[in-house]
Amino acid sequence: MKFYVCIKQVPDVNAPIQIKGEELIQDTNRMILNAYDASAVEEALVLTEKHGGEVEVVLIGPDKAKETIRKALAMGAQKATHIQTSGDENYDSSTYASILASFFKDKEYDVISCGKQSQDTDAGLTGSMLAELLNLPYATNAVGLEIEDNQLVVKRQGDTGQEMIALPSPCLVTCSNDMNEPRIPSLKGIMQSKRKPMEAVELSSLDVEEDNLAAKTTVTGYQEKPEREAGKKFEGEPDDIAAEVAQLLDTEANVI
Amino acid sequence: MDEKFDCIIVGAGVAGLAAAMTLARNNMKFLLIEKGEFAGAKNVSGGVLWGSDLAKLVPNYWEEENAGWERYITQRRLTFLDEQSSFSIDFKSSHFQETPYTGVVVLRSKFDRWLAGKVEDAIAESDFPMDSFIAPNIKVDEVLMEDGKAVGIRTGEEEFHANSVIIAEGVNNLLTRQVGLQDDYVPADHVLTGIKEVIRYDQEKLEDRFQLSGLGGMSNEYIGYATDGVEGGGFLYTNRDTISIGLVLGLKDLREKGKSPHDILNHFKKHPAVRDTIRGGEVVEYSAHVVSSGDKRIMPKELYKDGVLICGEAANLLMNAGKAIQGMDYAMRSGILAAETIVKAKEQDDYSSSTMKEYRQALDESFVMKDMNSFQDAVHMLHSPQMFKDVPNLICDFGRKFFTIDNEPTPKSRKMLAESIKKHSSYWDLMKLGFKGAKSL
Amino acid sequence: MSTILTHIAISDGKIKRSSLEVLSHCTQLANDNGHQSEAVIIDANASQYVDDVKKYGVSKVYVIEDPIFKNHINTPLLKALTTVMEQADPYIFAFASTEGTKDILGALAANQDAAVLSDVSEFNLIDGGISAKRPVMAAKILSSNEAKADKILVSVRSGSYELAENETDGEVVNIDFSFNESELKATLREVIGASGDKIDLSEAEAIVAAGRGAKDEEGQKLINELAETLGAAIGASRALTEAGIMDPSLQIGQTGKVVSPQLYIAVGISGAIQHVAGMTNSKVIVAINKDPDAPIFDVADYGIVGDLYKVLPPFIEELKKIKG
Ligand SMILES: Cc1cc2nc3c(=O)[nH]c(=O)nc-3n(C[C@H](O)[C@H](O)[C@H](O)COP(=O)(O)OP(=O)(O)OC[C@H]3O[C@@H](n4cnc5c(N)ncnc54)[C@H](O)[C@@H]3O)c2cc1C
Ligand SMILES: Cc1cc2nc3c(=O)[nH]c(=O)nc-3n(C[C@H](O)[C@H](O)[C@H](O)COP(=O)(O)OP(=O)(O)OC[C@H]3O[C@@H](n4cnc5c(N)ncnc54)[C@H](O)[C@@H]3O)c2cc1C
Ligand SMILES: Nc1ncnc2c1ncn2[C@@H]1O[C@H](COP(=O)(O)O)[C@@H](O)[C@H]1O
Repeated sequence: MKFYVCIKQVPDVNAPIQIKGEELIQDTNRMILNAYDASAVEEALVLTEKHGGEVEVVLIGPDKAKETIRKALAMGAQKATHIQTSGDENYDSSTYASILASFFKDKEYDVISCGKQSQDTDAGLTGSMLAELLNLPYATNAVGLEIEDNQLVVKRQGDTGQEMIALPSPCLVTCSNDMNEPRIPSLKGIMQSKRKPMEAVELSSLDVEEDNLAAKTTVTGYQEKPEREAGKKFEGEPDDIAAEVAQLLDTEANVI
Repeated sequence: MDEKFDCIIVGAGVAGLAAAMTLARNNMKFLLIEKGEFAGAKNVSGGVLWGSDLAKLVPNYWEEENAGWERYITQRRLTFLDEQSSFSIDFKSSHFQETPYTGVVVLRSKFDRWLAGKVEDAIAESDFPMDSFIAPNIKVDEVLMEDGKAVGIRTGEEEFHANSVIIAEGVNNLLTRQVGLQDDYVPADHVLTGIKEVIRYDQEKLEDRFQLSGLGGMSNEYIGYATDGVEGGGFLYTNRDTISIGLVLGLKDLREKGKSPHDILNHFKKHPAVRDTIRGGEVVEYSAHVVSSGDKRIMPKELYKDGVLICGEAANLLMNAGKAIQGMDYAMRSGILAAETIVKAKEQDDYSSSTMKEYRQALDESFVMKDMNSFQDAVHMLHSPQMFKDVPNLICDFGRKFFTIDNEPTPKSRKMLAESIKKHSSYWDLMKLGFKGAKSL
Repeated sequence: MSTILTHIAISDGKIKRSSLEVLSHCTQLANDNGHQSEAVIIDANASQYVDDVKKYGVSKVYVIEDPIFKNHINTPLLKALTTVMEQADPYIFAFASTEGTKDILGALAANQDAAVLSDVSEFNLIDGGISAKRPVMAAKILSSNEAKADKILVSVRSGSYELAENETDGEVVNIDFSFNESELKATLREVIGASGDKIDLSEAEAIVAAGRGAKDEEGQKLINELAETLGAAIGASRALTEAGIMDPSLQIGQTGKVVSPQLYIAVGISGAIQHVAGMTNSKVIVAINKDPDAPIFDVADYGIVGDLYKVLPPFIEELKKIKG
């Protein structure tokens, strides 16, 4: 099966961040492969290792996002497409979905995998937008994938239970990081990644309608979240502090 | 693909990156391996990178707007503390404004990553753009030795071969031990622990408070009450919109006195002289790391072997003689010199000790070993209780008398000094110390 | 006068409280701005929920009832939503942020060429659209957003708004809907582990959440006992859902659920930002952890530093006494 995995470069949410004026500044400037996309790459690799096929990654982003593409190639993806942007645009999920839809228009594939959401914005929209634009059957929030009789069998995490859904190819799936633990590229993988094909595609060559490139939503600023104050910390004899806190929950916090 | 590398460097800290940059510039085919998730991920320093070697690796680094460094040093201060007071020597000079700067303050997770990016650029421009690599998130488990000669490394099940290996693994030098250059046991009194917090302010506020202009910055070292009686000292450096504040403490003394570094840092932050300098602000990072004492007695027996060179803090190259902690500049220079030796080895196609020993010679002739040799006594002295207790007490006591005006007849300052000395030390001890100090610094 | 439409999610035979929270807010917005608030119920037994929905100030309730909606399947749901949108022509279409909603929101937006903001914690009307706040960077920060278009979709995190009843005699509009199995692009093979009787985490008043520290049998026993004593729902960190010790639907956090109970007790959870992202809206947070430096203590109102195996038995004992 041919897998295309849409991958995104995102800021590392674990690194310290601050807000200056309207902007979000990340001290270390460190960008990483979206964790959900890493899981999508991992799963595609596992499935193609088992059933044969090929994994190609696609990324829309500026030049410095190459590092992230390399990471996916080092994990084991065979090829990459880099749709180049300047990085200063105000794109939202619908813009990315439109660009990807134009890219996939004339491509052959069995499965397009996305992450279930971007780790930084948690939007969770691009995947199903792309499916709709390409008119593909799809499932979101996959926590397990299997290939059976040329169908992709998705275990999807719903609100309460899990749904087992069979998708005919071609189809689209968005992946949760709950489905696997993405491999850390081996030294051999890192070395090979430099020689793997990475095709650069100019955004202008994709004929995305002007209208679709204009985001319908904008971020107008950032604010600190009203921070929770750390409360009281109890240390000492387990019996005593346990009883004390239980009492306080009743008399002080009124939540029992 | 599976051919041999000219060199494999273990560790992308300052030493490893300096070596890698030098190799890339000299068109060598190499592999730089780092166990952290990225270069600098877990590395800690105070940190002022002293000297001008950075300009050799990244010429005109100061021209880049959003570079990996924070500020350049324009003001230096050395502060003695007793319980209540502080006595500072403060030095500011416009010559500090000239490039290459005398030192830049860095935050390692940013600096190392930036420098690694520069190395990637240099690789791309070298003769081996596709065959030299920086590989993060990989831990080297073993240096492969054949007939006493290093031939490569092993990570997990994978082995990679090279004509030479540069070990730049930092202070926990397991591989240096594995190749037999360092004894397995290092006594605790030769190990220090460094801890540090990064505190954030509004940038303008920070610049006002420390009277910084442009990207100028201040370094402040502290001796005395900073450490609550434990062997060691404190530091405070200004970054763009944060300060780095921390301590370097003797591990053995900490244990004996039953104190935790974290508590001592809080104690330091509460000192009247420090408290007001750092008030407001938000702690955004806390880190701790072992630091070598810079005592020559614990240096590896030798810094080379057939096919291997040891550089940076893996070789215990560090100087902490009171007026500054110097580890990164030593790491940088030793990394450069190690790489230059490998370049020579390739030219001569001889990676044996007879070429490798040139590294040791070059290092001996550089400021690194010259300073390590000439300031050994100062290093020992700094670790004596007089230095982190009696001397600062005495200086502050004198300051208190000298600067207090209280409508009483003022004694001559000579008399004040004599009184202070009597209180905190004997003349005899002080003379001994002074004599030692004069000799050592 | 425009229409603000709210989707009413049904789960396990009940209206999701979070849908009614959104509806309460939408009715308020409509009343304040001279618009009308309408709702749509799409379910196999949709009509049985109409009366409850009418309590929230709607002028119209659209009902689409079809057996196909017994389980969540995206193709018929999308078709139903598109049909409603054609008929109701809403300016704003609001959803509670559930896994069911997340599955179709993007597709519906693409289909309707609508602007969409997902998972907001707050939204209001502005000239030409809406403004909204969304937690970003693993909920460490809030972003302010605007969506401007002829049609706007928005989904709201649970616990963002209070319920506000406001009985009106809304009109009920049954929409004709038919769905042919042949239109199904995918097949739903089975539904595993959907549980009718467990307390829904996103609506629970009290939650006991277990982490790696409580991963063994003894720990699980204590967690169950504590939850039972408090009548609390049980949740988990990823460490436990990943290890297969707890059901994946119980995961709380960035990947899992967002909860906002009155009382949240984190047992043996370190407090990674991705976990904290899902629980900081709790009113009172209690943390039990043996590591005094665990980041969970930074958000806890009551932090108990200690071994959970030693702390929980007397804690449960005392709570039982209090409960009488
Ligand atoms: C609190 C504190 C304050 C300090 N202040 C200053 C200061 O102000 N100025 C100054 O010059 N110095 C200062 N130092 C000292 C300075 O940080 C060190 O001397 C310097 O970092 C040494 O550089 P290095 O490259 O040798 O080692 P490191 O920077 O420690 O780098 C070693 C690298 O090797 C990697 N590594 C280790 N083992 C392996 C392996 N097996 N496989 C792969 N990778 C491996 C590590 O992850 C690390 O990245 C301070 C230190 C501390 C702790
Ligand atoms: C993109 C992404 C999304 C994620 N989404 C989620 C999410 O939705 N939800 C989530 O939970 N995680 C999520 N994670 C994972 C998250 O980063 C943490 O790995 C996870 O929350 C850790 O779970 P834990 O606290 O149970 O385990 P640990 O971090 O291992 O902590 C266990 C804690 O238990 C304490 N402990 C151990 N024994 C005892 C004892 N006897 N008594 C008392 N205390 C004890 C320890 O001190 C420790 O603090 C996500 C990660 C990523 C990258
Ligand atoms: N710039 C991009 N390049 C490639 N794929 C992207 C990009 N942005 C989003 N995606 C895909 O969409 C998912 C995230 O969607 P969203 O949460 O809507 O941003 C990611 O996990 C990717 O699979």
